[in-house]
Amino acid sequence: MTHPGLLRVEGLVCRFGGLVAVDGLSLVLGQGQLMGLIGPNGAGKTTVFNLLAGAVRPTAGRIFYRDHDITGHKAHRINRLGLARTFQNIRLFGELSALDNVLVGFHGRLEANFLSAILRLPGYVAAERRMLDRAAELLDLVGLGGLQDERAGNLAYGQQRLLEIARALATRPCLLLLDEPAAGMNPQETAQLAVLVRRLRDELGLTILLIEHDMHFVMNLCETLVVLDHGKVIARGDPARVRRDPGVVEAYLGAEVDLDAREAPGA
Amino acid sequence: MSRISRWFDPGPLPAQSESRGRDSGLTILGCLGLAALLWLIQAQGGGYVVHMTTLAGLFAVLAVSYNLINGVTGQFSLEPNAFVACGAYVTALLTLSPAEKEMTFILEPLIWPFAVISLSLPVALVIAGLVTTLMAFVMGFPVFRVRGDYLAIVTLGFGEVIRVIANNAQSVTNGPLGLKGIPHLTNIWWAWGLAAVTLFVVMRLVNSSYGRALKAIREDEVAAEAMGINAFWHKMLAFTVSAFFEGVAGGLLGHLITTISPSLFTFFLTFNLLIIIVVGGLGSTTGAVLAAVLFTFGGEWLRVVEEPLDLFGLDIPGIPGMRMVVFSLILMACMIFARQGILGKHEFSWRWLIALARRRGGRA
Repeated sequence: MTHPGLLRVEGLVCRFGGLVAVDGLSLVLGQGQLMGLIGPNGAGKTTVFNLLAGAVRPTAGRIFYRDHDITGHKAHRINRLGLARTFQNIRLFGELSALDNVLVGFHGRLEANFLSAILRLPGYVAAERRMLDRAAELLDLVGLGGLQDERAGNLAYGQQRLLEIARALATRPCLLLLDEPAAGMNPQETAQLAVLVRRLRDELGLTILLIEHDMHFVMNLCETLVVLDHGKVIARGDPARVRRDPGVVEAYLGAEVDLDAREAPGA
Repeated sequence: MSRISRWFDPGPLPAQSESRGRDSGLTILGCLGLAALLWLIQAQGGGYVVHMTTLAGLFAVLAVSYNLINGVTGQFSLEPNAFVACGAYVTALLTLSPAEKEMTFILEPLIWPFAVISLSLPVALVIAGLVTTLMAFVMGFPVFRVRGDYLAIVTLGFGEVIRVIANNAQSVTNGPLGLKGIPHLTNIWWAWGLAAVTLFVVMRLVNSSYGRALKAIREDEVAAEAMGINAFWHKMLAFTVSAFFEGVAGGLLGHLITTISPSLFTFFLTFNLLIIIVVGGLGSTTGAVLAAVLFTFGGEWLRVVEEPLDLFGLDIPGIPGMRMVVFSLILMACMIFARQGILGKHEFSWRWLIALARRRGGRA
């Protein structure tokens, strides 16, 4: 059954000393939605992700996930409720293999305790086998099938981004937060990523909230956009409407730009 | 990659699943071979060699368990001397006979439960291990609130606190006088038997889902938390498991050297263990064993440089302390040419050895 308000954020504020990074953000994300969070650099987008995923405590406001208040919960608890994320500045476990990175994602839901892991009791062995199979599937899904034994730190930049997605998927999320998934990718990789993200939503039924600077990517992929500037929402709605919004144009291009005036000297 | 590690790089290894049966067989054979070697040392070697081999076994236990928290989990902590002291004192207090204790505690009598009981070594060791584990558990709550350098400082402080307590709790530890007349019960089999158990448990732990989680915490704690791993409890797991084995090894150490006093458990003990695990390769369990053995015997082999020497007609008188100079030079060379330690973060494996032998064989 779909949930109309899988994620509800009410009046979220986050202050770092004198800096207000997020200033009264409210949004509702229904199950199965694909929403983009955009805005100029320093608008507070990643801070919103950090707040949602429990990496940073909000100064004020409430976050509800499936109607549970998760405000200020620890990151690992929020993850186990079904909210997984990737990082803007890739945070893979560099020394571990690609496969191990994904396997770590399964650990939070492992039901065998550490004694049965040490003694290799049947329950643990079966769980380990299941994890290995699922991890291989996930690597195939994101297109890293042949690279499972490669050290994560040695993968190409675009591949590292994909591995982060696979690792997040291993935690069996319902809501996926992707922080600039296309950053550092070439146009071809970006196109493949768009296909992947759409598949995650359509085939796995995930709800996705993503931050991205590649406007072409965002405008084509997302159904709804929320535009953030200086921690405040300045526009929201479907891509076509956001694109025309004068406030958004202003936020992106600086103060009121008079295009005619700029052309004048050359005329 | 340094020249040395390139020399030992056999290229990509075959999949583990292909060679599991063969590798287990080789491991069993290897263990039997080592057991035979120990038996030979026990039968043929002099008392001194046997003593050193036993000590090497205990240091292997200490290094492997210390490496679990420092190398595998990446929590730079400096407290093993506290755990070893705790294990040594608890075991000795439980195994000494009441008569012996009455003779030892001349300034203040020993407090009640310890004064009247006398247990066998295995029971005492298990109790000592559990007491040490409990101590680590209680200590873990404040200690794991901090990370990095701060963690090192806090654990260092705890180590000192335990030593100071040992120095001053006259009615429990007999203060600076220490405990003497501890029965010499530790032999080569106790030490290496414990080493085998420790290796088995730690290797199984490290190669399980829990071990992956520990390594994930070492690599990036924030990401590990975001992937649903409760970093605090996993650090606690590594910490208590390592404390258990350090406590038991401490108990055996007391029964090997038969006299213990607080001065035995200073920061120097921790420092030596730190050298061992860094030289062995932080994070490498097999490297820790290798380095522990090298370290224990190396100190003895280096005695050669302190003896009068006749070098190409040049008479060099024996210089006491020269050993430590040479030792420092070796350490420096180690850090310059093999910064990752002997094995880096890798583990010894038969797959690796056989692949290496094939490559070297193919080239020759």
